[in-house]
Amino acid sequence: MALAATVLLNGLTLAALYFVVASGFSLIFGLMRTVNMAHGALYLVGAYVAYAVFEPLYDRDAWYAWYLAVPVGMAAAGLAGIALQGVLLGWMQGQELRQALVTIGVSIVVADQLLAQFGGTPRQFFAPDALFGTTPLPLVGRYPTFRLVQIAVALGVGIGLWWLLARTKLGLMVRAGVDDRAMLAACGVNVPLVSLAVFGLGAALAGLGGVIGATAQPLAQGVDGRFLLTSLVVVIVGGMGSVPGTAVGAVLVGLAEQVGQALFPTYAVILTFALMVAVLAVRPQGLLGRSA
Amino acid sequence: MLVVRGLHVRFGQAHILQGVDLAVGPEPLAIVGRNGMGKTTLCQTIMGMVPGEGEISLDGEGLAGRPPNRVARAGLALVPQGRRTFPSLTVDEHLRLVAQGPRARWTIERAYATFPRLAERRRNGGTQLSGGEQQMLAIARALLMNPRLVIMDEPSEGLAPVIVDHLAEVLRGLAAEGTGLLLVEQNLRMAAAVCGTVAVMVTGRIAATMPAADLVADEALQRRYLGVAAGSH
Repeated sequence: MALAATVLLNGLTLAALYFVVASGFSLIFGLMRTVNMAHGALYLVGAYVAYAVFEPLYDRDAWYAWYLAVPVGMAAAGLAGIALQGVLLGWMQGQELRQALVTIGVSIVVADQLLAQFGGTPRQFFAPDALFGTTPLPLVGRYPTFRLVQIAVALGVGIGLWWLLARTKLGLMVRAGVDDRAMLAACGVNVPLVSLAVFGLGAALAGLGGVIGATAQPLAQGVDGRFLLTSLVVVIVGGMGSVPGTAVGAVLVGLAEQVGQALFPTYAVILTFALMVAVLAVRPQGLLGRSA
Repeated sequence: MLVVRGLHVRFGQAHILQGVDLAVGPEPLAIVGRNGMGKTTLCQTIMGMVPGEGEISLDGEGLAGRPPNRVARAGLALVPQGRRTFPSLTVDEHLRLVAQGPRARWTIERAYATFPRLAERRRNGGTQLSGGEQQMLAIARALLMNPRLVIMDEPSEGLAPVIVDHLAEVLRGLAAEGTGLLLVEQNLRMAAAVCGTVAVMVTGRIAATMPAADLVADEALQRRYLGVAAGSH
């Protein structure tokens, strides 16, 4: 019973991280139809730049080192995303294949540049004392506090995105743009500018995921590919461009990974992809997605 | 007001607009013509949604080559064919998206007063509306931008006659208020109810411009330009 509860919690905490990263991916796809293959690279940019700020502060025992790393990682990834959209992708709006190839190229270049800059040694953030250690929980006994923080962050991101999309003028523009970009422009809205804002926000979420993720598990080369792949699976399962769909997809993928690890560790990876295949067979647009 | 000179649009090999010349305003102008003559392309090109070659100006301000949002800011609004309301937005959200504040000529309150059905449906999504309601929403969305001239592409398409009559009344009111109107219509009765002058579009050109009453009265002319007589609808 305790094991089942622990596996469930592990699945949910992993899902929380996946949701933070994949929600940015889904947001970008929803408005711009861009399959941003550089999303994993944005995760890396956020994490490494934040680490560069974090490390010297941590060495000096500054209590705020980690708290500063979070906004720094978001800003770094967000600015990188804005540059990516503004300099490269904005010019090829609507040409999905070209955008996918360009973002793959960018992700390779970025990953190599980060390797040159930071080397191949794995890095890991240390959570501040308030978020470190364990918390007593019924059923599972003691559970790492930071993993619970992960869930809280994901809930915050989910509620924040809901508020943004449902209650703000920018949210109106984004939802209208998902429906019909050309008509939104004819309504007097500067759609390329909205696209930049959305790309920046989606990338900043990748950066947030980068800092949170590199606190929970080491940051190393290759992590970008893993998070890109997971983001793809999450949004395919949940439905491209839907924030609630991304949440559902993240929970299913997170649980599938952890349950697989607990039951049949060798073949755990298969469960994730079996889930994707099953969803694609029954509902190709994803569980909460709209058919194109 | 709106002047178009030598407007050409090509999609690959297809030459859709072959040098359109027209001037609208201050009186409303209707454009009639059969399907596939380029009427919708003309509307979208003026609005900046389709690239074209030629001159487009509104009150002397050149608009050709501008993106749609800047054409809209210059004072043109489009009620597109098929309405193109946003399925994800409620009625009220459509209006909030484009509203320009309480001092503007058109406010959300005025739009609801003009189209009471929309006020009843303010919380409904864009897809839960009837065809007539969607059309009213598309018109309200355009008017809230407080345009100097509205381009309407087949607003009567698929609507019940009683709703078409209501629509014609609203459009006459707009014209009386001084808002310019370019009305693209297949329904000659509607076009003649709103506009004194009609231009006939044939294969990407304006083939003739004449008083609406003349075309309504002449069935041979209707057969030639529209393929059907108005009475057969």
